[in-house]
Amino acid sequence: MTIKTLLPASSIPGLAGHPWSARADKIQSATGLLLGCFLLAHLHFESSILLGKEAFYQVVQILEGGMFSESGHGFPVLTQIFSVFILLVVILHAAVALRRFPAQLGQWRALRRHMNGINHKDTHAWFWQLVTGFILFFLAPVHIFTMITNPEIGPNLSAERVYLDNAWLLYALLLPAVVIHAMIGLYRVAIKWGLTANRSGLRKVAKFMIIYLLTIGMLSLVSYLFIGADLTIPVEPYIPH
Amino acid sequence: MMSQGRTLTFNIFRYDPQQSGDKPKMVKYQIEETPGMSVFIALNQLREQQDSSLQFDFVCRAGICGSCAMVINGFPTLACRTLTSKYPKGEITLMPLPGFELIGDLSVNTGKFMRELAERLKLWLHPNLDDVDVHRLEAPMAPEEAAKLYELERCVECGVCVSACATKQMRETFVGAVGMMKLARFELDSRDQRGVEDFYHVIGNQDGVFGCMTLLGCQDNCPKDLPHMQQIAYLRRKMAVALV
Repeated sequence: MTIKTLLPASSIPGLAGHPWSARADKIQSATGLLLGCFLLAHLHFESSILLGKEAFYQVVQILEGGMFSESGHGFPVLTQIFSVFILLVVILHAAVALRRFPAQLGQWRALRRHMNGINHKDTHAWFWQLVTGFILFFLAPVHIFTMITNPEIGPNLSAERVYLDNAWLLYALLLPAVVIHAMIGLYRVAIKWGLTANRSGLRKVAKFMIIYLLTIGMLSLVSYLFIGADLTIPVEPYIPH
Repeated sequence: MMSQGRTLTFNIFRYDPQQSGDKPKMVKYQIEETPGMSVFIALNQLREQQDSSLQFDFVCRAGICGSCAMVINGFPTLACRTLTSKYPKGEITLMPLPGFELIGDLSVNTGKFMRELAERLKLWLHPNLDDVDVHRLEAPMAPEEAAKLYELERCVECGVCVSACATKQMRETFVGAVGMMKLARFELDSRDQRGVEDFYHVIGNQDGVFGCMTLLGCQDNCPKDLPHMQQIAYLRRKMAVALV
């Protein structure tokens, strides 16, 4: 049970401030904030399928810049460009967030021992952020690569991806991981930089948002499955009325 | 009073590293609860009446010295400020504070840790040496500034924030909330000549504010209710704009 204490100051000659420590922390918070806000928008856009095929079609046309084309159809290349941008942000976020991982077995054991001995909710919340963050290393790029290679989005085309191409499996795993990671993360960014002192209120908002986003995400995933099951092959893009 | 007449069960971590062959174990003790009993009072009774070899620290029994910090039913806190009536089941598990050198049983060497931390972070007033004139009266401090300093000066160095911090447990060189709290105290002190750059070179790194993961174990467990969350956020914002 004996645990070593700090080494005396003289034995740590390298102890000094480093601009990259500050930069890494700022980059982690900024990219996290950006990705968290993007997720909020993304989940609402894709859940517009719950309002019907027409509503989802219109949302896609607006986001793909349909108003700038003569035919009224958007440009899927915008999805590709935006996906590449998000991928770069994810890579940057992952690179700086890696600093936080208990990369050595000893650190992992120290964390587990601490969590077994000390009862603390926010530490448990961080632990889940850590676990979901690790899962996202593998799931998020798969989703983003799909959107770069096959950017076609629409009521029928998305349903084809979800149902016929079996992407539902990816989404069913990705959704809880990304929602939990992002909402706990946004909560942490807010208190980390002192944006608010109302921590209990913020915790309630974060919990509500996790349940709310999981609900609309799961419901829309189910509706894509139903639409997908009704599709005839070859799949024709949805034509608005 | 609900606390009268109950029999309390204490599960206490026992291990004496000085005794060769001794192994860490949990030992069960039973004791009659008395009105207004604190964990600290119970421990003293146990030592007097049941086991004189039981080791734990205390000095003031009033939450001022910070000696009797230990983990009580999973929460690191001061034994003298924890009433046994808080536990309806009457079962209390006591563990030594993790993250410190174990002296024996519930006693840990927080003093050694705090001294090394103070030496490393230079936690004392650095007055302006060019301005030493022993014949001149010291300039009075504004009451608002004194009040601010006193707020941070309330730290009793109990070590709870260190034990409650998972970051600190994973990374030994991390300075923890106590280190940042004390540095913030000198940063606020107008008599201290150290500027933001000097502080940056001590905590503007992975061992300081930028290593803190905002798990807030310090904030939630500090027995003196010090504003760790706001203080660390303040230092972080200050250090984030320094030297960029």
